[in-house]
Amino acid sequence: MPTTGVRSMHNVLLIARREYFERVRTKGFLLATVLIPLVMGTLIFGSMLLMVTSKTQSHVAIVTTNNSLGTEMKQQLEGGQQAQMKVDLLAPSDAVRSQLEAQLHAKDSTLAGYLWVTPGETPEARPNVAYSARSAGDIATANALQDALRAVLMRERLTAHGLTTGDIDQLTAPVKIDTSASGDSGAAFLAAYMLFFLMYMVIMLYGMNTARSIIDEKTSRIFEVLLATIQPEQLLAGKILGVGAVGLTQISVWMLAAFAFAGSGLAPGMMSHGHPLISLAQIGFFILYFLFGFLIYSSIAAALGAMTNSEQELQQLNMFLVIPLVFCMVMIFPIMRAPDSTLARVASLIPFCSPLLMNFRISLTHVPAWEIWLSIGLMTATIAAILSFSARVYRVGILMYGKKPSLPEIVRWMRYS
Amino acid sequence: MPIVQLDQIRKQYGSKVAVEGLSLNIERGSMFGLLGPNGSGKTSTIRMMIGMTVPDSGGVSLFGQPFSRKQLARVGFLPEERGLYKKMKVLDQLVFLGRLHGLDAATAKSRSVAWCERLQIADTLQKKTEELSKGMQQKIQFIAALLHDPDLIIMDEPFSGLDPVNAQLLMDVLIDQRTQGKAILFSTHRMDQVERFCDSIALLSRGKLLLSGSMREIKSQYPRNRVEMIFTGNESFLDHPSVETYRLYEDGAELKLHEGKESRCVLRHALEHGTNIVRFEVMEPTLEEIFIEHVKASFGDADNGGAVDA
Repeated sequence: MPTTGVRSMHNVLLIARREYFERVRTKGFLLATVLIPLVMGTLIFGSMLLMVTSKTQSHVAIVTTNNSLGTEMKQQLEGGQQAQMKVDLLAPSDAVRSQLEAQLHAKDSTLAGYLWVTPGETPEARPNVAYSARSAGDIATANALQDALRAVLMRERLTAHGLTTGDIDQLTAPVKIDTSASGDSGAAFLAAYMLFFLMYMVIMLYGMNTARSIIDEKTSRIFEVLLATIQPEQLLAGKILGVGAVGLTQISVWMLAAFAFAGSGLAPGMMSHGHPLISLAQIGFFILYFLFGFLIYSSIAAALGAMTNSEQELQQLNMFLVIPLVFCMVMIFPIMRAPDSTLARVASLIPFCSPLLMNFRISLTHVPAWEIWLSIGLMTATIAAILSFSARVYRVGILMYGKKPSLPEIVRWMRYS
Repeated sequence: MPIVQLDQIRKQYGSKVAVEGLSLNIERGSMFGLLGPNGSGKTSTIRMMIGMTVPDSGGVSLFGQPFSRKQLARVGFLPEERGLYKKMKVLDQLVFLGRLHGLDAATAKSRSVAWCERLQIADTLQKKTEELSKGMQQKIQFIAALLHDPDLIIMDEPFSGLDPVNAQLLMDVLIDQRTQGKAILFSTHRMDQVERFCDSIALLSRGKLLLSGSMREIKSQYPRNRVEMIFTGNESFLDHPSVETYRLYEDGAELKLHEGKESRCVLRHALEHGTNIVRFEVMEPTLEEIFIEHVKASFGDADNGGAVDA
């Protein structure tokens, strides 16, 4: 029946179109589209900025008889890459100790702590070092001191063994591993993780919107008019597509903004060694799995919407939406460790998990094509099954509206409609 | 060829029988009243007519053919519980509903505007539905049911909540539609609203058909033995042997005559006794009376439990 097919597609698209435009035109949509990335961006880059710029700037005192050690530490701490501290060099004496203690407890003093270096018993032995701090929580300063001390001691010993400054610099220079051939695994992981959360958020956000939209129609009783021309399957499919398109629009706006941002060079951290964190294929898979994920979770939401008559009832049932997502979250760690294990492969083939986990695996490892196809097939079948189930529940549910169905009732509904 | 033909349809929800062995025909160019108390199966019957549910047994034919969803493009439906998208503009809403019924966007738009003008709500076209009064929303829903020029118009309680002026406006539209040859089905428990307009009726109670046929036929089965009078002067004619009982009012009286007695005799008798008669009217039984009589009888007969609106 080709004409019937065209006709029902026409209806699905009409419903979807209405849903889309009515949502996109709202102020809420505009606000969410602009504000969410703004807030997220501010948070992420704010914290990155803080991390980069927050060199330790505390004021400390180093008490030592070893002048060269003291001077080198002072140099490292005052002009180093991580620290821009103010360092006082003092010679040990009881008077100094009591003076420093007094400063440490004085409110108007800036002294964050002092390092008391007692030389070792033999020249080869390491010195004993004690640190007294104003606040035990000032870990950054303590760490900076520790790092500096270690470096200085090492240098000293190496020099004592006859190495030149050049040799030492070469020895202590950080090692760089070129990963450009296989891609930056750390970065890929970060990207996968980001996508995972993006997907999680959008699914939760828009999945619930689908359910709400269905409940809205029940409360406003428009469905009676709609069902006088179209079938529940068409109505539900239209809703899922329409609300989904809104989600896609929003996420595309965000993605475009992110790319524009990355491209503008404002976020050099997003690119590593000239490789984009997210490859083109990854974007493709992300979009594919996002679409499927959205469709699956929206159809679950549609089923929930079909079963309930109010927002409150929906709240009680939304665990059906959350549980699979939480399961995915739990699975992400074993998959991260061994993306090719049987557990990972099975979990990523479960239709409710595929959108998140298969996508995650694809970004971590080489997933055989048949697994990808299988996951797509399973997801498609699941969506169709949920949709026809929801349509039945919906049809019978609205005919007997007013009371919440019990599980045996829903099972019985399956039989007649 | 009847527009709607129901043949022994039956529908059961769980243990509750909603409609039992109902048969009826609705003809072209007629107004049909589907009457019955709340819960008598009117809405279930309509839902089976428009394919929202499928009867457990029996047949539904529309336009002379067994029901198929394609035929729904020729049906206009105003549900009892009105529903419109609250946040949507009236015009957008009407165009959307028109397109769902198979109109193209341009036709849907021009018809929406024309209808809104006809029903005197043209100024609401660009407003959101939630800004409108209930009566206006009802008119919009009414338009939505007629937008695609359906051959079968199904109206579930179309005038509830409308003021008399607007109810008349909508009634005029429906009469006009009947003249154009459309079949119109009213479902209501308000007999007085449909009495003057319906050509035929079906009376439902507890899912069963109590009575059906053309209005004239049904009414002719009931004796015209009630007289309403407005008069001044001598009241002694009320003791005429033809009068069974009477009720006296300030300005007149309501009489019930013995069966088979001519009202003429009473009138002549009154005139002869010098009563000054302003009005003398032989009353037809109202639909409401017939309805109440039947429903009472049916509840009396079948006292097998189950509330009226169960």
